[in-house]
Amino acid sequence: MTDAPVVASGTGPLKVERASDRGSVLSWVGMPIFLAVVFTGTYLWVQSQELGGVEQRVLTRAQLTSRTIQHLELTAVSTLIVILIAIPLGVLLTRPFARSLVPVVLAVANIGQGIPSLGLLAIIFVAFGQLGFTPVVLGLVAYSTLPILRNTMVGLQQVDPSLIKASRGMGMSSLAILLRVELPLAVPVMIAGIRTALIINVGTATLATFFGAGGLGYIVYNGITLNRTTVLITGVVLVSGLALVVDYLAGVVGRLLAPRGL
Amino acid sequence: MNRRFLAMTGAAAVITSLAACGGGDGGGSDTEGILEGASITVGSKDFDEQLILGHISRLALENAGADVTDEINTGGTDVARAALTSGNIDTYWEYNGTAWISFFQEEDPIPDRIEQYEVVRDRDLEENQLHWLEPAQFNNTYALAYQADAAEDLGSPESLSDLADIIANDPDLATLCVESEFSARNDGLPGMEEAYGYEFPAGNVTELDTAIVYSATADRNPCNFGEVFTSDGRVSALDLVVLEDDLGFFPLYNPSPVFTDEVYSEYGEQLDEIFNPIAEALTQEAMTELNERVSVDLEQPQDVAEDWMSENGFI
Repeated sequence: MTDAPVVASGTGPLKVERASDRGSVLSWVGMPIFLAVVFTGTYLWVQSQELGGVEQRVLTRAQLTSRTIQHLELTAVSTLIVILIAIPLGVLLTRPFARSLVPVVLAVANIGQGIPSLGLLAIIFVAFGQLGFTPVVLGLVAYSTLPILRNTMVGLQQVDPSLIKASRGMGMSSLAILLRVELPLAVPVMIAGIRTALIINVGTATLATFFGAGGLGYIVYNGITLNRTTVLITGVVLVSGLALVVDYLAGVVGRLLAPRGL
Repeated sequence: MNRRFLAMTGAAAVITSLAACGGGDGGGSDTEGILEGASITVGSKDFDEQLILGHISRLALENAGADVTDEINTGGTDVARAALTSGNIDTYWEYNGTAWISFFQEEDPIPDRIEQYEVVRDRDLEENQLHWLEPAQFNNTYALAYQADAAEDLGSPESLSDLADIIANDPDLATLCVESEFSARNDGLPGMEEAYGYEFPAGNVTELDTAIVYSATADRNPCNFGEVFTSDGRVSALDLVVLEDDLGFFPLYNPSPVFTDEVYSEYGEQLDEIFNPIAEALTQEAMTELNERVSVDLEQPQDVAEDWMSENGFI
């Protein structure tokens, strides 16, 4: 990490959407079909179970709906904030004048993700003395900044330098090159980072229930502590299903944004 | 939170010294040496009261001459239970209410505490060949509490019935912090609300981690009332006022040492002889005091257990 331009090591963007993927029908409908089968199967299975007081209380329509909405709000708000912080930061850090800051910023982002998530939330709770939505969102932001920041930087750095030189030769300003050449070419890698952050946030938001911010963790945790398998499995299916839905939607957006001709 | 973490790390870092109690002249108890040759692994769950109880078991068994392996602080309820049923540990203290609601997946408690114990004991023996010894005197059950400084604002409620007034006249003050399971159990909030004929306003109930409920109630942020455990040392340390359960809704759950069949079938008589007087001596006051020394004064659970055992002549 000491050689400033080489920031890519070990980041490995998970999955980069290319415009050429657009045609494959299976890649569009495969995931929705899979999710529909899983959700329907779980629903039918729960219906077939004999449900006691705990199950009837935790698995009501109102309860499941409100917990899912809380979970989505946590995920959406925190990811949005991360995007607003990490993408401009990533752009800044790839400009020549900011090179010396790269190791410092990455170290901070690494620490954010390196601390165990429960510990991070506990530290934020102790530091702010507040419970509920805001501190949990702060925790999620700290926890998921790294993938978007890294991928923005990697995405910009992998743009072929000859393209930038050519653009400059055409008389484009630095800003124009950034907006019309570098960023469009970096979008697939950046989207991969956003998808990673989304999945991290959906998973980590299950801890929100310990800090008064609700979410689907309430269902999972009750299933564990009260040893109610139906409750536990419903919670787990909802959380992982939500992660897949969100990832799928982000993938769709990524494909639509991917520059043509790549 | 801080305090809890400190206490936990401290507890985890300690290496137990296996006291070989040979010389019989130390003025110890009359159970000395009766478990000579036995090899027993002691476990516990992962919170302060359980660490103390685990060390009490360890000291009692060592005093009786058993070769004790210390697996205290085994994990949460499910981990400790799994360790016991799989034979990785031979004993830990379990609350009969936890067995009833969680292991046996029952919904409603049995009001009589002796009957509750007997039903759990018989069922666990029959289904899982696990042996429940006599329950300790103290119970560790649910209660609602508020910070003493808040008394004036809240109109100094004394019992759970008094909450009806607050909920009816001043619903904004009726804020409650609970663990998530408390809000889902029949013997928790839903049953309590039904028994007392009121309901906390929607949106006024916040679910939190167990440890945070205490500090949130003490700080009155975000709740005026909190769900606590009656024997927890933090109740008095944080100056919390416990509301009397005037309708007697919350069941009394007592803990017992639970042993595997492998150990109990061989040493049952001796184990009863060792543990029955200990269970008898573990009163509500005694346990609350021990908990307070660990949770609040940050003493080591093994030191606290050892002091209590020798003060009471068990070692």
